[in-house]
Amino acid sequence: MMAAGLIDGWVEALLALVLVTGAFIVSRRDLHSLVFAYTIQSLFLVFIALLLYLAHPSEVLLSIALLTLSSKVLLIPYTIKRIQKQIKISRDVEFHYISPTGSLFVTILLFLFVYYSFSGVIGGLFTADKISYTGAVFGVSLMLMGMLVTFSRKKVITKIIGYLTMENGVLLFGLFLTELPLIIEVLIIIDLIIMVLLVTILAAGMDSTMEEFHNRLHIFRRED
Amino acid sequence: MNLSFIAYCFINIIFAALVSPFFMGIVKKVKALAQGRMGPPLMQQYYNLLKLFRKEALYSTDSSWVTRVAPYVNITVIATAALCVPLVFIPEAAYGISNVIVFLYLLATARFFMALSGLDAGSAFGGMGSSREMSISSVIEPVTIVVFAALAFIFNTLNLHEMFRESAGQVHLFDPSLVLISIPLFIVLIVETARIPVDNPETHLELTMIHEAMMIEYSGRDLALMDLSHAMKQTLLMAVLINIIFPWGIATEMGVAGIISAAAGFLLKGAALSAFIGLFESSLAKMRFFLVPNLIMIAFFLSALAILLEVFR
Amino acid sequence: MNFLFYALLIGLAIIAYLAFSTSHRKMQALSMVHALSYLAPAAYLLLYVDLPVYYLGNRYLFIDHLCLYEVLIATTVFFFAAMYSWGYVEGLVRAGELNRRDINVFYLMFNALLIVTVLSFMSNNLALFWIFAELTTVASALLVAILNSKKNIDAALEYILITSTLMLFSFIGLMFLFELSKQASTAGTLNWDELMAIAKSLPPTPLVFSFIFVFIGFASKAGIAPFHTWLPHAHSKAPSAVSAILSGVVLNIGLYGILRAYAIVRQTGAEQTISYFLIAFGVLTVFVAAFTMLHQKNLKKIMAFSSVENMGLMLAGIGIGTHAAVFWVLYHKLAHSLTKALLFFSAGVLHRQYLSNRADRMQYVFRLQPLAALGLIIGAAAISGMPPFPMFISKISILIQALSFSVPLLLALLLLVLMASASLVVFLIRLFSNKDEGRAHMERYDTQPGMEAPIIALIIILFAIGIFFPDGLRSMLDTITTELGFIGAKP
Repeated sequence: MMAAGLIDGWVEALLALVLVTGAFIVSRRDLHSLVFAYTIQSLFLVFIALLLYLAHPSEVLLSIALLTLSSKVLLIPYTIKRIQKQIKISRDVEFHYISPTGSLFVTILLFLFVYYSFSGVIGGLFTADKISYTGAVFGVSLMLMGMLVTFSRKKVITKIIGYLTMENGVLLFGLFLTELPLIIEVLIIIDLIIMVLLVTILAAGMDSTMEEFHNRLHIFRRED
Repeated sequence: MNLSFIAYCFINIIFAALVSPFFMGIVKKVKALAQGRMGPPLMQQYYNLLKLFRKEALYSTDSSWVTRVAPYVNITVIATAALCVPLVFIPEAAYGISNVIVFLYLLATARFFMALSGLDAGSAFGGMGSSREMSISSVIEPVTIVVFAALAFIFNTLNLHEMFRESAGQVHLFDPSLVLISIPLFIVLIVETARIPVDNPETHLELTMIHEAMMIEYSGRDLALMDLSHAMKQTLLMAVLINIIFPWGIATEMGVAGIISAAAGFLLKGAALSAFIGLFESSLAKMRFFLVPNLIMIAFFLSALAILLEVFR
Repeated sequence: MNFLFYALLIGLAIIAYLAFSTSHRKMQALSMVHALSYLAPAAYLLLYVDLPVYYLGNRYLFIDHLCLYEVLIATTVFFFAAMYSWGYVEGLVRAGELNRRDINVFYLMFNALLIVTVLSFMSNNLALFWIFAELTTVASALLVAILNSKKNIDAALEYILITSTLMLFSFIGLMFLFELSKQASTAGTLNWDELMAIAKSLPPTPLVFSFIFVFIGFASKAGIAPFHTWLPHAHSKAPSAVSAILSGVVLNIGLYGILRAYAIVRQTGAEQTISYFLIAFGVLTVFVAAFTMLHQKNLKKIMAFSSVENMGLMLAGIGIGTHAAVFWVLYHKLAHSLTKALLFFSAGVLHRQYLSNRADRMQYVFRLQPLAALGLIIGAAAISGMPPFPMFISKISILIQALSFSVPLLLALLLLVLMASASLVVFLIRLFSNKDEGRAHMERYDTQPGMEAPIIALIIILFAIGIFFPDGLRSMLDTITTELGFIGAKP
């Protein structure tokens, strides 16, 4: 059993690092480092879950840690890397509305927005536990950062990373805000994994070069 | 003005001047090793400086007094700035020199004279270098200020010495805000000392270079002074980073044993950081000029985040 | 008692069988059986069992009247879609738009979608509902992506990314709701019936916050503007049998979630705020849909936007929140699902004939495909709310309820709904008056009886429901509305 204050300190440090990886994902263009950042981020989440487990032992936290480790640190990055090799895209340099530099700035604003809206509406829920509040705010901010990536990048594979980041944000929020029943928690994670794997497979069809797709397309008439 | 402070002035400036070329040498050596070369011996920087000091300085016929004065101004300003950042021990009283804002303004002054001297001779390279230097500094300076503001916010003081003292007395291994602030501090260090993703310190004649282009007209003594002040500036920024993140070992009061062990400690930590800088430089390619704001934005983001994290406390 | 579970088991068995099956005919027949297998237990439960019934230890699943009603609508649409698939999917394969080896995947996903849809309606636990709703996205997106076209994959990806991204917001809202319920009752719950019971002690302001988050995700599934952007692409690119399901079933899932969540909020002090909130989004949705429909050239797209419009109208109806309004919203849901199925089935026939959804490619529709043309005309009349079709009375009644709310709301809705109907009619007139002499002798696409039967059946059912409003349906809708806590004068 570690001292509660020390755990809080470590958790806070990890939270900060999670946001650093979030910022990295928002601002980077090459897909390899995006996947890498995502993997590290998920690993940090595992550590956070384990630290929280040390503070308040419960099987839910432990199973979240295990599931996150096996799916988000190992399985999903592996799949994405394989797909990346297939589609031969290593950089995503197209942006819809804002450049990465701009998105970092927007992120700060988002963060402030989340902080203020949370403190106004639900600050009362967290009077006892400051670190949970920080965690919840960070979770929602990370989610919004992921959304920024999802909606501002053009390549599907980057959008997926954005979606995954959002999921991590939700996970973070869930870790700190409340403890859902174990079965629900597990089902949700499995559900998200299915979703991500499906999107990844579809993305392989979408982002692949034209030749691979041509033999499937040649009979197609022009339509709308 | 007490004796301790006077001793501090001498020790700090002399120590900074002495170790700076050594750190430069380590960065060069590590980069060379990373590229598969032997690289110059670690002491090479000292030999260079000694040789240059013995040589006479030549001036372009088109240059004015600015070129002649700038090296001396630079070394003076940087030496003064060295007083802001204690390397081995922290004096009890600092008489205002320890203020963060003073430190930043001193660095800005040095930069101003550097850019002016680049323009002075009217050569194409110098002008280009100065123009680039000023464009970059217009982006990096607000960020530098935010980074130091974050530091001031974390430690609740504008006094650098106070910050170091507090951080030296800290028990926790990692404070989250400090972990965060270390990254922007490192980025500021890289940008301010003209290192690789932003500038390339190796080259003299590429159109990409910034810092070296400004010094292209200098020779002999003046060049030595410029080089030395540049190296010292790097040491000072490194010292800020070291004293905030890895403060163990710095002496908080005067004493021969304490100072010697602190000096040895600083030498080790500085060498490690320099090696890290060398590796960092080797692992990256130089950025396109217009991508530099992106890097700086990351620094801005993280220091803003550090401030916010402090607000939550 | 556990009949519905037997039906689910049958479904699972069918799925397992399908994974190895090679006969198209069998797969299609089994899908029809699967859809039918829910009808009998549902009817039994409705007639002989006291609802609600709870299942599983934590009462995670349950069946109440609303659930049954939704399951009945869904399985009807699924049944007709499965029947329609026979000729339609075979046609897709012949035209090379679908690989023969993908037929398995198609029916697998079709049945999986049916199962998760039924389960999502049966979920008492809101988090479980969220999970199943996400799974419906997975299954239906695969059904959209199954055709051999990059555009289909694009549409499916857009569908998944937008809805599941926004569904994460819902999840945040649900966790929040869970935390709020912990304060009201020590254990904390996301079970809908328990939430209804403790709703009065939930604090209003955080509840509004939580509801808005929940709303965002479910609204994206229901195609509520501004989260509807995935909908027109997915609906128009999907095979028509799937479009009918998307529009007639999958959109209902989102609306169902909003209705359940709003039923909780209605018990609390936050009711007024959320009511305005829902009406605002409803009107915005109808507005966006009506104006987009004006200049559509694509048959299936205009139908997709018509779905958006109807979803908006229903959302506004839920927001009005009187007993009568919710009653007619539920009725409208039934009518809308059946009408949309009819429209998309007819559009599918035309797509087989002209290999395009664009109106300007369709010539001599009456001569070539008289049944589909009839289906389109009747469907369009029904969806615009002409008597004697069921949507006439539901639209009128929702509008009357809007009047009880405020006059400007009535005027806005009336104007927009009329505009949408008018653009649909103008579109059809253009479609049917297309004449290009060069294509006068186009070869007729031979429609299978499997494609014609659902169209005929749906036309008959629509007439029947519109003309006779069975007492059983009326009392069922009354019960549902009362169970949801919308108490007021009966219509």
